[in-house]
Amino acid sequence: MIHFLQTLISGLSLGSIYALIALGYTMVYGIAKMLNFAHGDIIMVGAYAAIVAVFQMKLPGLVAVLAAVLVCTVLGVTVEFLAYKPLRQSPPLTVLITAIGVSYFLQNIALLIFGSEQMASPVIMKLPALVIGGVQIDGITWGTLAVTCIIMLGLTLFINKTKMGKAMRAVSEDKGAAELMGISVNKTITITFAIGSALAAIASIFYGSAYVYIRPTTGAMPGIKAFTAAVFGGIGSIPGAMLGGILLGVIEQFAKAYISTLWSDAIVFGVLVVVLIVKPTGLLGKKISEKV
Amino acid sequence: MKKFVAMMLAAVMCLACMTACGAPAASNVSDGSSIIIGGVGPLTGDYANYGTSVRNGMVQAVEEINAAGGINGMEVVLDFQDSAADPDSAVAAYGKLMDNGMNVFTGGVLSGETASAVAAANEDGVPIVTPTATADAAIVGNPNTFRICFTDSSQGLASANYIADNKMADKVAVFYQSDIDYSVGLYTNFETQCAERGIEIVEVQTFTADTATDFSTQINAIADSGVSLVFIPIYAAEASTFLTQAQGKLDGKIFFGCDGLDGILGKVSDPAVAENVVMLTPFAADDPDAQVQAFVTEYKADNGAAPDQFAASGYDAIYVIKAAVEKAGVTTADADFDAKVVAAMTAIEVDGVTGTMTWGEDGETTKAAKAMIIHDGVAVLYTAG
Repeated sequence: MIHFLQTLISGLSLGSIYALIALGYTMVYGIAKMLNFAHGDIIMVGAYAAIVAVFQMKLPGLVAVLAAVLVCTVLGVTVEFLAYKPLRQSPPLTVLITAIGVSYFLQNIALLIFGSEQMASPVIMKLPALVIGGVQIDGITWGTLAVTCIIMLGLTLFINKTKMGKAMRAVSEDKGAAELMGISVNKTITITFAIGSALAAIASIFYGSAYVYIRPTTGAMPGIKAFTAAVFGGIGSIPGAMLGGILLGVIEQFAKAYISTLWSDAIVFGVLVVVLIVKPTGLLGKKISEKV
Repeated sequence: MKKFVAMMLAAVMCLACMTACGAPAASNVSDGSSIIIGGVGPLTGDYANYGTSVRNGMVQAVEEINAAGGINGMEVVLDFQDSAADPDSAVAAYGKLMDNGMNVFTGGVLSGETASAVAAANEDGVPIVTPTATADAAIVGNPNTFRICFTDSSQGLASANYIADNKMADKVAVFYQSDIDYSVGLYTNFETQCAERGIEIVEVQTFTADTATDFSTQINAIADSGVSLVFIPIYAAEASTFLTQAQGKLDGKIFFGCDGLDGILGKVSDPAVAENVVMLTPFAADDPDAQVQAFVTEYKADNGAAPDQFAASGYDAIYVIKAAVEKAGVTTADADFDAKVVAAMTAIEVDGVTGTMTWGEDGETTKAAKAMIIHDGVAVLYTAG
């Protein structure tokens, strides 16, 4: 029983990180209708920003978080302006390839600046561990879960209750019509990227606190897993990203603990395939009927 | 017309390629005033630290030898090319080195690139003394190749023997990376020898490069198995992640690894997480031996950090080449330079910083391994008990 609970906790811990990253992914997809494959690498940049802020500029933890958020937001908006905006009218495949290009570009820039050696990231989130029924829940685990929940609720409210959120939903539904209604599509998408990148920065702080070591390729694998989580939960759906992320983490850890560490990834992606066969839009995805 | 010109150009290029590839590569004979030692290794990319260490060790040996009058009166010139850890780039670099007039080759730094470069060098007959490629197959098939380091199989074997000889544990857990040859090779040989020596492996946990971020499940399983020793035949980068996450869960256990763990203290964020790590390695910077300490002091002065096993093997490789060329009594002006140096390799005994080495016909070395244990952030020689 203890073993079962331990596995569940480590699944929640991993899943909450996936969920946090997936929120940014799904947000950008939901509004701008593009897969930003560079999202994982923006997390990597955020983690390096925190390292520089804490270890080289000797800033306190909270200021470092703000610095990481600032760096990522500026980077996200710049990338959107330089790489994606000129392709607004291009087919989705062009934008997708560009995003992969941006991902490699960011990785190699980090390689040039910081080198290939891993760097230890500052543990900014230091929270006391909780002990429930003999099982220890690390501070970072419940901290990430709590923050992910808050962000999920905040985002849902923002998109459904504010004027900007309304504009975002309009752009998501029909860019042309939104423009005719007087909504600036470019401004809306820029703001979407700014929010998505700020979320990436927050994810990077938690990732760094949980897994400590950062290298230029750090963002790639969590990025792909989070993308999977977003698809799992229904891409474009914000609560779906949260659910997908947590389920993905839990399934991964249970597969490792009870079946085989060699098979865990195969099982995770196997479950994804089954879910997509049964429910092609993902767990909480909306069924969209195309009007002809 | 344009098309015709393009075709002609293509034809000329093809011809040029064919002449370049088809020409029989002769040994590089020069005027005998200098000896060019060529090397390949990753100086950029994910494994740059290993290539840089080997090169730094070689540079130091070359400087020392030249200051003392060179080899048989010849000045030593080191030509080290970047491979970015890619086997194809290593073969290309080998070709470039041969064009630059290389006399002795040191192969690659990692096993994969070394295997490719050594195979490419087969028909040229150039003597190869390779410092750090541990995969058993890396030098097979080229009779002119000799190796400074241990092989994967001998390390797995030696680890099991060391644990049994020093009665460190009779029940152990293993944590290894299932998608790299180094780790799998060590584990397989360790497993075989454990059966032989009566050590019981009660728990085996694995990970891959793609799942190298979260080890909590594996750590829980190892903690539940209740062993006192964990065999970790993995590299220092992954080991630092593992040890950091194992904090508070596997305290007091011994972590036993091989040369891959070298440099672990420079990788962990806090030296305390590396407490009780034992490394079975041919080189230890804290070895009190006078020759080792002289090398370490000089290396620190030049590079600002203590040398690792890679730097030490690179350093030794140059001195081994020196010993073989001196034993053969040849210079680079002799036409039979290659054959005589290769023949001399099995006749020499070199007392290097990685141990006292001799070589067999198969190119493998025999030398003793030292076990180091990390206590309070410092690696010291392990003493049983």
